[in-house]
Amino acid sequence: MQNTDCTFICEQFTEYQENSLSSEIRAQVDSHLASCSSCLEIFQKLTGVIETLHKLPTLKASSSFNSTLLSRINTLNQETVWQKIYHSSYSRVAGYAIAAGLIFAIGINILIDPIAPMKSGTQSNFAGDKINPNQPTESLAAISDSSANHPVDSLTLQNSTITSQNQSMQLVSGKK
Amino acid sequence: MSEKPLKTDEQLIAEFQNGNENAFVELVDRYKDRLVNFVYRFLHDMTDAEDMVQETFLKVYKNKHAYREIAKFSTWIYTIAGNLARSELRKRKRRKTYTMSALSFDDNEFTPVDPGKDTEGIVFNSYAGEEIMKAIYALPEPFKTIIILRDIQELSYEDISTILDIPMGTVKSRVNRARLKLQETLSYLKE
Ligand SMILES: [Zn+2]
Repeated sequence: MQNTDCTFICEQFTEYQENSLSSEIRAQVDSHLASCSSCLEIFQKLTGVIETLHKLPTLKASSSFNSTLLSRINTLNQETVWQKIYHSSYSRVAGYAIAAGLIFAIGINILIDPIAPMKSGTQSNFAGDKINPNQPTESLAAISDSSANHPVDSLTLQNSTITSQNQSMQLVSGKK
Repeated sequence: MSEKPLKTDEQLIAEFQNGNENAFVELVDRYKDRLVNFVYRFLHDMTDAEDMVQETFLKVYKNKHAYREIAKFSTWIYTIAGNLARSELRKRKRRKTYTMSALSFDDNEFTPVDPGKDTEGIVFNSYAGEEIMKAIYALPEPFKTIIILRDIQELSYEDISTILDIPMGTVKSRVNRARLKLQETLSYLKE
């Protein structure tokens, strides 16, 4: 019985110290501590432990903490940006290849079709028709150009994102 | 210029979610010391503790949108840091190469202290402080975490309840048992 009592009393120590016990239980702890030397010893040691814990020195992050974190974030950003570039340029190139293919096919049709009337049609229409065969060629050139240029554009754009991110973080780390 | 009222952590993370990286840096400055202090008590090594806190902030940076305003920012970041620290401890235990001779407790959960690493760069006020550090490091879970959160970080029962996802009543009884266990461990170390 004494044992159960001691266990129960020890369970109350934290709330006893924090003054959050009911007055009834508080009185029970008081009277037990007055009569039980082993519980009193535990209580006193416990109080000492908590005091020491609260007095432990506060540690500080090193002075290079922010700059290290900044460089890790920049590495992370560059990785993500490069992944994005890879994916976007890959899909863009694929997209342009398909588009170029389609337009090329259409172009061939247009090229072939005007030729057909050229062969069978009257001379009078030729002057006007002359422009037509050129147009698909021009647009094809434009497409192949754009397929070469756009990924470069996207690269420049993405690079400028990196730079602006770097700048904002540098600015920030400089502020510290 | 009139003094601006200090922004809450929750305001800062909201700003960061909207793309303001200065807000992130402000949060780093607010939490880095607290978290280093927190994680160090688990790992007992300053370099590892800093590295783990950096990981914590990188997680916050990468997953900023995972934060929801229903929780306090502090409990969210403590949860991330605590999980990282504890998983690092588990990893260490798996690749444990040194012996348990320095501290031979009954409990298998105890992790040995590497005496070469424990106090590097830190000057303790007293011998008792260093001793208590070793005792905390040697405490089994869940006592270790609860002691660190309550008695070193001095967090409220409510916050601890959120971080550990256990009821308030359990937090209180665990704090009490952890303190008793710590006191027991200290007596053991003194013998
Ligand atoms: Zn007793």
